[in-house]
Amino acid sequence: MDDAKVKKLKYRGRFGQVFIYLGKFFRLFILQSDWKVIPMSAIIAAMVSMAIGSGLFVSMEGTFQASFAITCVCIWNGFFNSIQSICRERPIIKREHRAGMHITSYITAQLIYQMMLCAAQAFITIFVCGQMGVKYPSAGVITSSFLTEYFITLFLITYAADILALMVSAIVHTPMTAMTVMPFLLIVQLVFAGFFELPHMLGDVSDLMISRWGVQGLCVLADYNDLPATVVWNKLVHSGSAIQYGGISLQDALVEAEKQGMRDSILEKLGEANRRDDFAATIQNLADCWAHLILFIVVFAVVTVVFLEFIDHDRR
Amino acid sequence: MGDLANISMKGLVVFSGFFTAGASFIEALGLFFLFRKDKVRGWYAFIPGVCEYHTAIIAEREEDGRTFCLLVVCRYLALTLSNLFAEGSVMRKFWTLVYAALVFAVILFGICIFLGLCRVFERKRGWVFMWLLFPSVTALIWGLSPKFRPNHRIPDMDYEKAAAISGAAVEAIQHGLTINLTDRTVTDAMKKKVLLKDIHMSIPTGHMVLLLGGSGAGKTTFLNAVTGYEKANAEIILNGRDLYNNYESMKYDLGFVPQQDLMRLSDTVYRTVTNAAAIRLPKNMKRADRKKRIDDVLEKFGLNSVKNSQVGKLSGGQRKRLSIATELISDPTLFILDEPDSGLDGIVARNLFKSLRSIADEGKIVIVITHTPDRVSDLFDDVIVLAKDAARTGRLGFYGPIKDAYSFFGKESMEDILLSVNQKDEGGEGRADEFVEKYSGLLNKKAV
Repeated sequence: MDDAKVKKLKYRGRFGQVFIYLGKFFRLFILQSDWKVIPMSAIIAAMVSMAIGSGLFVSMEGTFQASFAITCVCIWNGFFNSIQSICRERPIIKREHRAGMHITSYITAQLIYQMMLCAAQAFITIFVCGQMGVKYPSAGVITSSFLTEYFITLFLITYAADILALMVSAIVHTPMTAMTVMPFLLIVQLVFAGFFELPHMLGDVSDLMISRWGVQGLCVLADYNDLPATVVWNKLVHSGSAIQYGGISLQDALVEAEKQGMRDSILEKLGEANRRDDFAATIQNLADCWAHLILFIVVFAVVTVVFLEFIDHDRR
Repeated sequence: MGDLANISMKGLVVFSGFFTAGASFIEALGLFFLFRKDKVRGWYAFIPGVCEYHTAIIAEREEDGRTFCLLVVCRYLALTLSNLFAEGSVMRKFWTLVYAALVFAVILFGICIFLGLCRVFERKRGWVFMWLLFPSVTALIWGLSPKFRPNHRIPDMDYEKAAAISGAAVEAIQHGLTINLTDRTVTDAMKKKVLLKDIHMSIPTGHMVLLLGGSGAGKTTFLNAVTGYEKANAEIILNGRDLYNNYESMKYDLGFVPQQDLMRLSDTVYRTVTNAAAIRLPKNMKRADRKKRIDDVLEKFGLNSVKNSQVGKLSGGQRKRLSIATELISDPTLFILDEPDSGLDGIVARNLFKSLRSIADEGKIVIVITHTPDRVSDLFDDVIVLAKDAARTGRLGFYGPIKDAYSFFGKESMEDILLSVNQKDEGGEGRADEFVEKYSGLLNKKAV
């Protein structure tokens, strides 16, 4: 072909290639049994809501524990969606890249495809928890729809975890390495979720974790600060007979207080001591959480593209 | 009393410092002699990091050696960081923990490398404990004792014996592929390696060329350089256009079929070809023309009957044909195949090569690597023979018609030609440099 003729030829650009790969991913979703992640997320949501669902939106402690557990579910789902997505077909990507495929198109298609998966999983998690008896509040923090905001939060947690795993999948070269790295990532996310007491210096590290912002988002939405703290009350009621003061056991005193209708006010007082500024149901707190999760998604996606651009340097 | 304790403590610290330095020196000295036994430069033993890396090379554990060096560096880093924080602080504990983990990892990798040393020096594995517990004494014994000799040597790099460079660049042809490759080098672990050198040829369109060469002769490196996937110090002209300078527009005019069938096994045959067409064919091509092209390619490679099947369910031969079809969809001028017959039986392989012959007859250049050249040599026009010279660099031993190759090498089969240029330690005749020189002479004569 002569110069002029070759220069006239235009090939499918980045935008056009996104649709080619999007079609391929959705086709493989069915043909490669990738759809299994959908029922898997339903089963995990059912199991978790069975274990901790009763305390969700009811008490401070129950909500905190459940928010942590649901965040873990989302991170687990996200990780499993994409941890092998790139590394399992790395040689194929290299071949296609040499033949004219744009890495940005491939990753954009992955981002859209994974977005759909994560949205489906977030929806399923909310639906299954509802079916398992979790009573959702009606009003949200920003809008009047609690479920919309809850869906957005669960989706962002799942999606951020998903893109983190996609990034790992682009960095490592084999599925085996990816599956070895994944548990470490998961443990780090769990440890730094803000659920465990950490030394001050390490506590700052948690600001870089999806889990920390996930727990905050869910607690903000659950109106954590306005919930009663019931753990201390329940413990004292069950074991307070041993504590005597002025001839009356603490257990008897609490039962008497409950009879006189003072229980709720005492629980509220106990709750006041547990309040946290970052869990207050304010637009600022929720926006903070969403903004951090979106920032993570963007950063992970950019790093994924940068790493995959070097795929031609892979050794044979 | 307190002063006395203080003085003796200081003395202990000074003594342990001297002891450690002395032990390290003795170890390096032992390794100095050990390296020389394997023709590695002895003074490498005195450079931390480089010493560990070369020990790993001698132990035939180069990859482990790299990780080992990295871990050693990280270990020193973690130790330094932990010392920066106050005693009892959380950060100090954290970095001490990291340091401990790295020490553990270093020991594990050390064991791997020492096991490799035991194997290469044909010694019992029990020596690994000696290396771990008393490295300086062990290094000295292994280095000085004439009983400890490696069962191999790192390949000799005899730069003086290597064939001289011809430098006979060929003139670019208007219809075909012109290759003027000065060299292709890589820098690996601070070492510059010349993978290919002094390769010049012109292949006219319509030719089917066999690429012959022993293991490590640089066949794939050569093809990667020719296609521009890994650029060399070269000028590659395809039909009058410089490939390196116009790579973005010319890459669609190249087809490279890798040795492995790199396709998504769960996708269907038709979709695999359609997607390849969508990327490789011009976007302004009419839909009907595109469909016709896809149907033609499927028909040509006998894939019509399985077009709705999943790739993973195809036979080896069908998969290979599909792999070729996805590359051929854009009707490339230069078509390269890396062992397309691997895993195929004789008849299927021959039929495949006949298909490639027909592609070449359509005015394309087809270059093929195969390890069973004699069963299909009649289908080729030319042969390129790559050979490792004395400096272990890939050189051009011959390029020309198949019949001329037989007379040039004085052999009756392609496999015999291959044996003649292969190194002696690979079971060959080790005459690579002789033929490289001879062919250079031919080229220079032609040039005159």
